[in-house]
Amino acid sequence: MNPRKDLLNIASLTDEEIHTLLESAAPMKELFTKSVKKVPALKGKSVLTLFYEPSTRTRSSFEVAAERLSADVTNFTVSTSSVVKGESVHDTIDTLQAMKVDYIIVRHYHSGLPDVIARHTKASVINAGDGAHAHPTQALLDSFTIKEVYPDTRGKRVLIVGDILHSRVARSTSMLMKRLGMEVAYLGPGSLVPKTQYTGIPCFSDFNEAFAWKPDVIYLLRVQKERQDAPFFPSSREYHKIYGVTEERLERISGEGMYIMHPGPVNRGVEICDLAMDYERCLINTQVENGIACRMSVLYHLTPKTQH
Amino acid sequence: MTTPLTQEVLLDELGITCAIKAMAQAIMDKPSPHPLAIVGLLSQGDIIAKRLATEIQSLGGDALCASIDISLYRDDIYKLEAKPSLRSSNLPFSTDDMRVVIVDDVLYTGRTIRAALNAIFDYGRPACIELACLIDRGGREVPIQPDYVGYVMEKPKAKILVSLKEADGKDVVTLCNN
Amino acid sequence: MSSILIQNALIAGETTPVDLLIEDGIIVRKALAGSIDTSSVDQVTDANDKIILPGLFDLHAHVCQPGYEARERIATASAAALHGGITGLMAMPDTNPVLDNAAQISTFNELCRHDSIVEIIPTGCLTKGCMGEEQASYDSMRAKGVRIITDGDKTPENMLLLYRAMQYTSSLGMIFGLRGDVPSLTAKSLMHPSTTSYQLGLSGSPACAEEIGTETIIRLSQETGNALHVQTVSTGGSVEILRRFKNESSGLSSEVALHHLIFTHENVGQYDTNFKTLPPLRDTSDNEALIAGVNDGTIDCIVSDHTPCTPFSKKQDFLDAPHGMTGLDTFLPVIYHYLVKPAKMTWETVVKSCSSNPRRLLGLQPISFEVGSVANFVVFDPNGESKVSNDFLRSRSKNTPFLGATLDGKVDVVCFSGQLHSF
Repeated sequence: MNPRKDLLNIASLTDEEIHTLLESAAPMKELFTKSVKKVPALKGKSVLTLFYEPSTRTRSSFEVAAERLSADVTNFTVSTSSVVKGESVHDTIDTLQAMKVDYIIVRHYHSGLPDVIARHTKASVINAGDGAHAHPTQALLDSFTIKEVYPDTRGKRVLIVGDILHSRVARSTSMLMKRLGMEVAYLGPGSLVPKTQYTGIPCFSDFNEAFAWKPDVIYLLRVQKERQDAPFFPSSREYHKIYGVTEERLERISGEGMYIMHPGPVNRGVEICDLAMDYERCLINTQVENGIACRMSVLYHLTPKTQH
Repeated sequence: MTTPLTQEVLLDELGITCAIKAMAQAIMDKPSPHPLAIVGLLSQGDIIAKRLATEIQSLGGDALCASIDISLYRDDIYKLEAKPSLRSSNLPFSTDDMRVVIVDDVLYTGRTIRAALNAIFDYGRPACIELACLIDRGGREVPIQPDYVGYVMEKPKAKILVSLKEADGKDVVTLCNN
Repeated sequence: MSSILIQNALIAGETTPVDLLIEDGIIVRKALAGSIDTSSVDQVTDANDKIILPGLFDLHAHVCQPGYEARERIATASAAALHGGITGLMAMPDTNPVLDNAAQISTFNELCRHDSIVEIIPTGCLTKGCMGEEQASYDSMRAKGVRIITDGDKTPENMLLLYRAMQYTSSLGMIFGLRGDVPSLTAKSLMHPSTTSYQLGLSGSPACAEEIGTETIIRLSQETGNALHVQTVSTGGSVEILRRFKNESSGLSSEVALHHLIFTHENVGQYDTNFKTLPPLRDTSDNEALIAGVNDGTIDCIVSDHTPCTPFSKKQDFLDAPHGMTGLDTFLPVIYHYLVKPAKMTWETVVKSCSSNPRRLLGLQPISFEVGSVANFVVFDPNGESKVSNDFLRSRSKNTPFLGATLDGKVDVVCFSGQLHSF
């Protein structure tokens, strides 16, 4: 893989880079079965996690990945007070530059903010989710997970259900899936699915229509009813009834052998019923494990400009 | 226009076969109470490891065969602009109390073997570790010496190219004159 | 007593070149090219192969002084304007303090008299402090030369307040400068809804918000009999609405920002904050409809919507960065490069929409080239080129997407208030 400093989105990756990142994730995952799970690849390198949005899962996943590569991990705690005090992202960037860290893993509620950090630091910047823009490592782990069950992903159909509008996961994962030859369709309430003319992805209006399309994977997105300005749907109950994996739908899903995926954390009873969590083809926990492997692959392959 | 390179052949197909046979014999000749594991380093080392194991079996010995990728243990990993792509290691058994023979195609600085030693220890605690390599190129930078060698080069440090049937379609070791 | 001779001057819209002799800022002779003797003239400029345009008037610029001098000053804004072929501009009232009373207007006029090399006419606030709550003192501001009242980029949310303000001013002969908008629909909007907004994960508001707003303010102005100038029209749908009302509504005028004629949402690329504008950049079809609207007279004026921003502020992420781009320095070269040269617009239309229409709207004398007129014109060289570098820009802020680009055509000379400015 040619030297690449940052991982900000899927769009900027070449086919070769995608291939390399996914290929290397498998050997990384094999390390987990050894008695010593740690390798010295990033010994002496420092990784800093900079999360402006609370996320225990993604942050921990990156931490475990970095530690298994022997990097030193620091959490940069972004106190809400400094944001309130009007500390701009540039002040933070200056601080990070002075700390001379090699990798910065950033999550922010503003789309495009990691791009700004990447432009102004020598460290490798990994986007761990920015606004509604991109979540490239999630996309990699999703496609890696699908490749484990379907080594040839071409022509496989993935139905992504839920809040597409606010979802960086939907954007990144659908883009990568399409580049790997999968077919992607959306399903969700009109208020949460952007027009097909903008997304280039067909959209179903209900589960019956979507099931008739014969998806291989049902990919559920986390939905939030609470938004500051105006609600996007009337109630979680109604959402579950129309767009959730109910017990009835689970029967059909299991009857046709479809897989279920979800980026987590799951809202039980909203996106998915309890029973579905124990469904044998529910890949949610596999996604978590693969997340570490894919993030190790990303950390390993990026080349910070902090050397020499 | 390409001019055909005049390449000096160090080992031809027969030479390689003989060298591997000789190493297999030497491994067998050395008495050891511990079960034998032949661990090849990806890539090329794993091919030679497989041939060695087959050879040892045909000599009436018994050897487990494995392969490992040591990229993640290299000491020069962040000096490299482009990271080597990773391959799957295949070491499905515990190396505890085993006699492990690390196999590589070319021994040069010894740094790869240093990395391999670290990697091996992450899989268990072998009784002993030995080293076999097809070609010794000289030029050591760390105190590591092979136990079994197929061919020692007279002109140390010269660049060589190892081709093996399984990967390149032919068995030949040539000297690169450039 | 200084005299200036412009030889071989081909005035836009005319067919034969002439010589123009100017003394003390007044055109004193206009004769066939080559017929005026150069011997007793102080300065001679040969305009062969160039084109003469009346000085342009920009109805929409933010000059930022007083209050935001880090972004722009009256001196730098006026120098940038002249550099772009503009000899007069109307300043938005969103300074600090805002221009919402006669005293502020007087102070502003005084600053301009002192610092500006072009004519600057202030606008006055529609509401006190631009807060959208109380009416500003319209009549006293009118006495200081204010013709257009506007809250700058803000559209009042309170329709009743707007309605009553319009009723109140209907007898004062002032014009309301308003942008079509439904604030509750566009409050969080950062872009035009499009493939780009989807890919970048930036929220977009429906283009119909502008159209609903446009129709609303036109209906209110009709109802109250007030003159209305619709600011920075950006969608094809808005052009349609304006076309529909144009004939039946005598006090209705409108403007489009130059960047809305040439750029689309795709220019935002990977979060280029120079392309964050208000209203947002839209589709190619909107560009075309807006150009057609200017060409058929539906849209009266092309403006710069010059909005200086500090480098620091534009280096922030797309959400935090302020909207706007500068446009004065590059105004005429951009018009030539993107509109006149590719034959999307004629020089006659440019003169109409960038000089005569805005002047007429403000009650200013149209610019004439006849003997006895004040000399106010631009010599533009279509064969020259403008390399837009930091040094090229007279504006204090450099937030123009043209930075680093080379534009066809160059403003050679501007003749204004008795002086010849050569670039």
